[in-house]
Amino acid sequence: MLKRAYDLLVQFKEYALLALYLLTALVLFAQNTSAPVKGIRSNLLAAAGFLQDTFDFIPDYFSLSRENRALREQNILLADEVNMLREAAIENIRLRAMVGLKDRPAFQYVSALVVGTQMHALTNTVTINAGSENGVKTGMPVLTDHGLAGRVTSTSGRYAIVQLLLHKDIRVSARIQRSRVNGIVRWTGGNELRMINVPKTSDVIPGDVLITSEFSSLFPSGIRIGVISSTRDVPGDLFQEILVKPSVDFDRMEEVFVATVLPDSTRIVLEGRIR
Amino acid sequence: MTSAPVIRPALLVLISLAALLLQTMVIPYAAVGTIVPDAVLIWIVYLAITRGHIAGSTAGFFLGLIMDVLMGGDGMLGLAAFTKTLAGFLAGYTFSENKTLQTLSTSRFPLIVAITALVHNQFYFLVSLQGTDIPFESVVLRYGVPATIYTALLALLPMFIFARRVRS
Repeated sequence: MLKRAYDLLVQFKEYALLALYLLTALVLFAQNTSAPVKGIRSNLLAAAGFLQDTFDFIPDYFSLSRENRALREQNILLADEVNMLREAAIENIRLRAMVGLKDRPAFQYVSALVVGTQMHALTNTVTINAGSENGVKTGMPVLTDHGLAGRVTSTSGRYAIVQLLLHKDIRVSARIQRSRVNGIVRWTGGNELRMINVPKTSDVIPGDVLITSEFSSLFPSGIRIGVISSTRDVPGDLFQEILVKPSVDFDRMEEVFVATVLPDSTRIVLEGRIR
Repeated sequence: MTSAPVIRPALLVLISLAALLLQTMVIPYAAVGTIVPDAVLIWIVYLAITRGHIAGSTAGFFLGLIMDVLMGGDGMLGLAAFTKTLAGFLAGYTFSENKTLQTLSTSRFPLIVAITALVHNQFYFLVSLQGTDIPFESVVLRYGVPATIYTALLALLPMFIFARRVRS
């Protein structure tokens, strides 16, 4: 009986192996958040991150001169902007003191380089060379000098995976800087984001800047997300169709900053009670 | 010569790692929007054509698993392993010991890659879109088909290399 089973297994070994692999994949899929799977994931990420980091010089070599030129141009523009902002900050401090407003907490940032990009249609992520040893934790927001890039979804000692805004599962509470209209930003494909849940009567015009709002329990407020590129009234719909051009150029993202701030768990618990 | 050159197992592992590095570090620079070709899938199909079902599904499982880890999304570990195992096994049906070079050096190779990539992408989207309101058909048209074509085009490169080898 046993020999017959063994013979069958040998005869159909391709199918047996296929079944074993598929079953293992399904078990992993079902056990995604369990501690052992997280441990395996962290170790594999450390190994893969090390390899990507080692060979990181390859794309850099080709893009160095182009990047230098762009940085010089950007430097001039930023110097101008800093001067204007300095004036505004002094005025802001004085006015906030007058009305007794609470200051927004300043964040600590961990800088990191993008050492790998994983693009797969609707689930786009990058690997960065900063991990739990640098204080990076799952859930922390990731920014570039242009604005919000995404959030950390997985870490190992020296590496972390960042889920970009161009990811089917990401949602960001957003506010239009000029008119203070609130909505939710999400990505449904393409190079642009969508701002949803904004009524047709709301004041939205192309060119408006979009920032993260205080309503977000995942991201700190005031981070630039992008600029509204177009609005459209869809007949029969209560809401406007708003397209947003992200501030971050995800194709050329090389340096990022992880804001070492985690979602406020007490707030999430409190808000969970009323849902 | 009708068979592809024999590659030692250690070298196979090294080339597999190189394919992963290529996929995550170089190929994103050739992205059209968010459409990228799948170099890892091409390598899996190559292994399946030259070594059969077992090599195809084994490479598919392990390379897919590493890609799952690199994708890092919540709740997605195992998905690429599943779809790439299926793809590797499927491509294994084209294995014919005495005709491997003939398959690799003609238009059959990009055609096999295209069919495998199409099946792979359908499965991937079918599962990953669960729980979202993004319509499956639009994703297949917007990403599945272009990514399949792009991957098949990239497969022309090894095809030309093998064709040149046959001629010489």
